[in-house]
Amino acid sequence: MAKLLAGVGTSHVPSIAAALDKGLRNSDEWKPFFDGYSPAQDWVAQHKPDIAIVIFNDHGNSFFLDRVPTLALGVADDYRPADEGWGPRPVPNFTGATDFAWHLADCMVEGHFDPMICRELDVDHGLQVPMELIFGRPEAWPVKVVPILVNTIQYPIPTPQRMWDLGVLLRKAIDSYPTDEKIIVMGTGGLSHQLQGARAGFINPDADREWIAKIGASPERYRSMTREEYVEEFGSEGAELIMWLVMRGCMDEQVRELCSHYFAPASMTGAGMVLLENMG
Amino acid sequence: MSVTDPDADRIPDTPLFDRARANSGYALNKMAMGLSSPDGRAAFLADEDAYLARFALTEAQRAAVKARDWAEMVRLGGNLFYILKISAVDPTPIREIGAAQAGMSLQEFLDTRLGKVTNG
Repeated sequence: MAKLLAGVGTSHVPSIAAALDKGLRNSDEWKPFFDGYSPAQDWVAQHKPDIAIVIFNDHGNSFFLDRVPTLALGVADDYRPADEGWGPRPVPNFTGATDFAWHLADCMVEGHFDPMICRELDVDHGLQVPMELIFGRPEAWPVKVVPILVNTIQYPIPTPQRMWDLGVLLRKAIDSYPTDEKIIVMGTGGLSHQLQGARAGFINPDADREWIAKIGASPERYRSMTREEYVEEFGSEGAELIMWLVMRGCMDEQVRELCSHYFAPASMTGAGMVLLENMG
Repeated sequence: MSVTDPDADRIPDTPLFDRARANSGYALNKMAMGLSSPDGRAAFLADEDAYLARFALTEAQRAAVKARDWAEMVRLGGNLFYILKISAVDPTPIREIGAAQAGMSLQEFLDTRLGKVTNG
């Protein structure tokens, strides 16, 4: 049986990508942010996952508003970096975990989640940045990927509880997959930020720190909050944090925090991560 | 409060991209989405008026784009993830776009909203 190795929650801020592209990894501004990811990078490199399931939102790059899938699942063999306006970034293409993705498609529909199934898909910073934060900038990615895309832009966006339930379903798909591959699940987005309106620039470091501290040990409050409460507490784009609940929902009730990190502001965003493993 | 009134924010100063905004901003966002291809960017840079004329923008939306009035573009249904592509052809830092929407100078915006670095 496939093994759920760990869960990662992480920001996917595009300025992180821009900083890497400009060679600013070790600049005064960015070094403290990137250094905070080193323990997680080391742990993942030691434990060698085979597949990364990445839950993220497209930011108006692969999907326009003519059709907005609430949930989409990639089943492609190969994913190219999207052109977000500045041309595709110089990161390697991502190889799809095609067999697992189709297994997940079956499990999702049988479990009453009905994603749009994507055979050709460019992936934007929502997937690129978490991969770079966890795996660095290799010549080729050391894992295959399964992209799960969630609409967090156009309302109605899905509820936090729905994201949790998707995580529970995802765990069943992992546990029923008949290979011995090792899987990490990455819930991405956030933390607090707001790009739009007169409250632009809103960040909430106290709430972010509490989120990182509690998402492993006591996530109940975050499941039951409304979408509006997410927006109030974490900003309009901070509501992306609901995608961390997919990761948390697929893990055991009891988890161990392996490492965490928080830094603000990264551009206009509270940024950070947590790495969790099951107790059992 | 009408559900079609884009100014009726449920959370103060926080324009959720709901039905009303998605409707009023559709052409504006579609215009910006066109900038995700090299051809679209080249057309915008070669003749901005001609590029904008391809899309059914309202006169107010067209004027807001021409003026790079970010707050007004958002007020008229623009969503940052799309209209940000304008900043790829006419470079504008995201923090300046934030400051403009907040009605502040960049320095005031950084000081009052993003100023305090916290790490670890």
